[in-house]
Amino acid sequence: MPAQELIPPPHTIPVHWGWLYFFLILTFYLHLLFMNAMLGISVIALFYEFKPGRDETSAALSRDISRKLIFFAAFAVNLGVAALLFLQVLYGQFLYVSSILMAVYWLGIVVLLLLAYYGAYVYNLHHEYLFLTRKFLVLGIVLLFLSVAFFFTNNMTLMLRPEQWTRYFHNPGGTLLNLNDPTLIPRYLHFLTASVAVGGLVVAISGRWKKNNAVKESQNFQNAGMKWFTAATFLQIILGFLFLISLPPKIILAFMGGNVLYTAVFVFTLSCSFLLLVLGALKKLWASTATLLATILGMVLMRDFVRSMFLEDYFKFEDLELSSQYPAFFLFITALICGVALIVYLCRKSLHPSGKES
Amino acid sequence: MYYPVWELYFAGGGLLIAVIAVLHVFVAHFAIGGGLYLVLTERKAHKENSRPIFDYTKAHSKFFLLLTLVFGGISGVGIWFTISVLSPGATSLLINNFLFAWATEWVFFLVEIVALFFYYYRFDQMKYTDHQIVGWIYFFSAWLSLFFINGIVAFMLTPGEWLQTTNFWDGFFNPTFWPSLVFRSALALSLAGVFGFATSVFSKNRELNDKLLRYNASWLIIPLLITAPAGYWYLHSTSAEIQSLILFDSPEIRPFVHIIIWGGISLFLGGILMAAKLSGRIKKPLAIVLLAAALVYTGSFEWIREAARKPYLIYQHLYSTGIYKENVQELKNRSFLSAAKWTQNEQVENSNRLKSGKEIFRIQCSGCHSIGGPINNILPLTQKYGIYGMDSQLNGQGKMQKYMPQFLGTKKERRALASYIVKGLHGKKTATKGPGISAPNSTLKIPDFDPENSQYVLLAWNDLGMNYYSHTLPYIMFAPPGNNLNALLINRGPSPGIVTQGVKIKYTIETGLGDPGSQSRFWDYAPDLFSRDIDPGTGLSGFGINGTMHSNQTVFRARNVPVIPISKQQNFNPYPLYTLRAFDKESGELIAQTRTVAPVSHEMRCDNCHGGNWQGDADIAPNKKTALDILQVHDKNNRTDLLSRAKNQKPVMCRECHSDPKQASPGNSSGNPEILNFSASMHGWHANYLTGRNQPACFNCHPDSKQVHTKGFRGTHSEAFSCIDCHGTMEDHAISLLKGARRDGRDVGKLIKHLQPRMAESKNEIKPRDPWIQEPDCLDCHQDFKRPSLNATAFNSWTGSADKLYRNRNEISGKINCAACHSSPHAIYPAKNLLFKDSRDTVQPLQYQDNNKTIGTDNCSLCHKMQMGFNYHHDNMIKN
Repeated sequence: MPAQELIPPPHTIPVHWGWLYFFLILTFYLHLLFMNAMLGISVIALFYEFKPGRDETSAALSRDISRKLIFFAAFAVNLGVAALLFLQVLYGQFLYVSSILMAVYWLGIVVLLLLAYYGAYVYNLHHEYLFLTRKFLVLGIVLLFLSVAFFFTNNMTLMLRPEQWTRYFHNPGGTLLNLNDPTLIPRYLHFLTASVAVGGLVVAISGRWKKNNAVKESQNFQNAGMKWFTAATFLQIILGFLFLISLPPKIILAFMGGNVLYTAVFVFTLSCSFLLLVLGALKKLWASTATLLATILGMVLMRDFVRSMFLEDYFKFEDLELSSQYPAFFLFITALICGVALIVYLCRKSLHPSGKES
Repeated sequence: MYYPVWELYFAGGGLLIAVIAVLHVFVAHFAIGGGLYLVLTERKAHKENSRPIFDYTKAHSKFFLLLTLVFGGISGVGIWFTISVLSPGATSLLINNFLFAWATEWVFFLVEIVALFFYYYRFDQMKYTDHQIVGWIYFFSAWLSLFFINGIVAFMLTPGEWLQTTNFWDGFFNPTFWPSLVFRSALALSLAGVFGFATSVFSKNRELNDKLLRYNASWLIIPLLITAPAGYWYLHSTSAEIQSLILFDSPEIRPFVHIIIWGGISLFLGGILMAAKLSGRIKKPLAIVLLAAALVYTGSFEWIREAARKPYLIYQHLYSTGIYKENVQELKNRSFLSAAKWTQNEQVENSNRLKSGKEIFRIQCSGCHSIGGPINNILPLTQKYGIYGMDSQLNGQGKMQKYMPQFLGTKKERRALASYIVKGLHGKKTATKGPGISAPNSTLKIPDFDPENSQYVLLAWNDLGMNYYSHTLPYIMFAPPGNNLNALLINRGPSPGIVTQGVKIKYTIETGLGDPGSQSRFWDYAPDLFSRDIDPGTGLSGFGINGTMHSNQTVFRARNVPVIPISKQQNFNPYPLYTLRAFDKESGELIAQTRTVAPVSHEMRCDNCHGGNWQGDADIAPNKKTALDILQVHDKNNRTDLLSRAKNQKPVMCRECHSDPKQASPGNSSGNPEILNFSASMHGWHANYLTGRNQPACFNCHPDSKQVHTKGFRGTHSEAFSCIDCHGTMEDHAISLLKGARRDGRDVGKLIKHLQPRMAESKNEIKPRDPWIQEPDCLDCHQDFKRPSLNATAFNSWTGSADKLYRNRNEISGKINCAACHSSPHAIYPAKNLLFKDSRDTVQPLQYQDNNKTIGTDNCSLCHKMQMGFNYHHDNMIKN
């Protein structure tokens, strides 16, 4: 059965694919920020929980992280929902299939995520009481998140390889993975390390915002955070390189001059990464943050270019048939503007100090 | 069929989505109602200046956050993941068509999260009025999430005009949008009360408990009361077909209609009880019970909604199998395996039959049927079938019951699926043959006749040639014992005379069959069935198993002689021989005698589809298991209660409702136009299950096939023709009967809709007929009484009235019945008895002519004592 025949026919799209692509990149980008923060700070917390000796900085760091983790988790999930929505509209015919082929693991994500999320609440609410079990709780949370990430990586790569889908005929039970893909592990490690870098920056920013309350702690946080950030960024560059060379040759070449746009983005992003090393070493917090945000955007685009290249024999966006629903799109845009306005309003109402409830 | 199917066994049939969806809906609806609850309870605390209520609200909001944000949020994602892997085609359609409804819902989900975080984490830091605003924003966002999801979920059940327009707004604001929204909103508020009880009852503050009792009770009860009319509105906004499915037809739904009603009542009563001042020891478990009842109530609602949509995921558009309704017609005529993309087997061969069947099962069945699991487990549902029965069930599936789709694919593929289910899943081996029967040794004695000196010729025959008797008491009676014997006594001479005066003809059955009362329960139940006592051994018209015939102007008759085909030695004998003796009334002298069979069989292979096993000679008719299954299926499809009657020793007689000209019963259709005459019902229903076959379809009931012993079709026509040459194929036969019933003002739409004629260009061409009265007319083939060609067919040309029937017709003088010389229908001379392999079906030709041909063939002198030179009785008698 040739791979092309196994790809299901897509349904129509409601607006020009350009809009959908825009929202996919936007929501995935935001999801990545929160998800990296969530995973990154939990890895960092794990380190401090297991670090021998009971120094104040470690304790303070893990306490601070326990307060933030649940919030990053909530938004990571919410933005992930949006990203998955737009991904399904544009790439559904690939994604549904790969999800089914690994259905057991894909649904397993729901359970793993639920456990990790509740674990984060336990970490948060009972932080002071957990003592010895706390480090194992964080270990559990980290392992759960790492598993979730692993399964996501499998799905996102299996959807790009229709030639592998005939394995279904030997195993229709939903337990296939994409382990024979040479890009899988480098990609996974690259994304994990990115999380740690972002986590480090979150810790540093958290420290910077404490400045007025506890100067010493603030300084410790910033130092620790920037060290994590810089080290992780360094490792990232190496892992990124390994990821690049694990890709099929034609894709590597596209980034090396074969495709003008792809090469330009690659050069830009790579330059930003080196700049990050410098800024991190110099502990320039806000410059690092701005550059990181740009780097991540570049990486998100590159990731999408890789996806397009994997699928170029099977699919391009222009193939999707339009069944126009611009009024409904207008509804969404209106809701989005109202939603953002409401969020801004909520923040202003809730965050400026007011009289307490009597 | 465009997507791979995740192979599941225990967890199949939708178990995963049922579990995750019910749990999510339970928590998510609470997330909405509970939001309003928090805001209003906080307001209550403020108005009453109550610190305990204030503290309670804060504690409750923590509980609320932990439950709804984490579990509610993740389980919502869980539903999405689950539907993507179980029903990818439908998910893709919904997402692509309603993207901006999902996207808008997402915006409000985001606002909810932000609002809830601020509401809880800034509880003590915010001014009361600001905090209330945050709470209200939370509630409205939550309700708007419901608003947008509701449109999509309701669309699946009632797509409304979207089916024609594919317009987003037509699909979103569909027929059940508003009733569903009202119902769910009411449910959400009610659940807030249930959870309110659950958290407040565990508070240590006694004063709080009391203050909140009636408060929580009103949250629970008032919206619950709204769900009743809302539910009614919801139900009546669906199509008539869906309403019928919910209220009557779906076996899956029936228990849940009861559960939801009782669940609602329990919640109502529970709420009242909780409002009373009872001790905590009672209240705490009661609060948990209320939670459980609320979960059951919610779950039954969701179950009913989902099951009511069967067999569709998107009603009238996309089946649960992932097949689009618009593609069904095209798929009916081609190989399903080659049309479906994710199948490895392209064609069914002997070597891959089970594997092909498995692949077909996965796509066409596993979406609704688990294997060994709790949801629609296929195993008990198909337990009774052998391969033939399973194949026939698939043949008829989805034609008359609306909650299943029709099978799509070739006959070979259907058979492969049947094999997979019967052999692969049930592990049944190929059916063993039934026990052989010992045909009794035939010591057939042909009576004497002296062509020179004998004065009389006695001819005798049976009306039907093939005849039934249903040996299924005490469960069912559809054909009481009753053969009609006829005799004609001819006084030989140049102008022969028919003798009826001064003569008595006695009929005696062969040895061993003279005591039918000992072999049948018919006489035990006769008082119940026929409202009168009948002596054992006597038939419905008063004639005994042995006796004296009555005469009219020309013919001697014994009507409804109660022949039972089981001898005292428990041997099966479907061709009992009668010896008829004519006596001079005055002198008592025996003036003539002959023999004829009175055929009767109880061999019907209902068990091919209705389960049950062969039991052995004396009981090889439909046995108890089979009979009860027949009644159960009848109950399921027609909302009758026949099974419980039969189990209580009150046998069901079909003709009580179904008129039957053969038994001269009017039936009792009592205003229900869907109750047809017995023949139209039987054939009309079963034809849907037995299409595309030739005479083997007839053999399931009419005992002629190699599978049975009787082999009733045995006359000269059986040499070159089959049942269908005169009676039509099953489909055509059924169409003619159904049109006849329609002509009588009956409603046959459901039965006739899917039948396709095979011996006519269209249904319009097929002529309606009344059973037993309008039958094939011999003269349509035997034009001018000549021998017809071998591709003659008598189908679709019926006798206009009963007197034109072969069995009732006479030759030109009006005195000699056709069957007197040609023998009974289905056993026309020359006939061969394939069971006994003797000459019991040609006794008279052998007796009178020393051959097995028609009486009088080249032998007018049999009656005339001289050779005649011209055709008298009918044309073309004399052949040159």
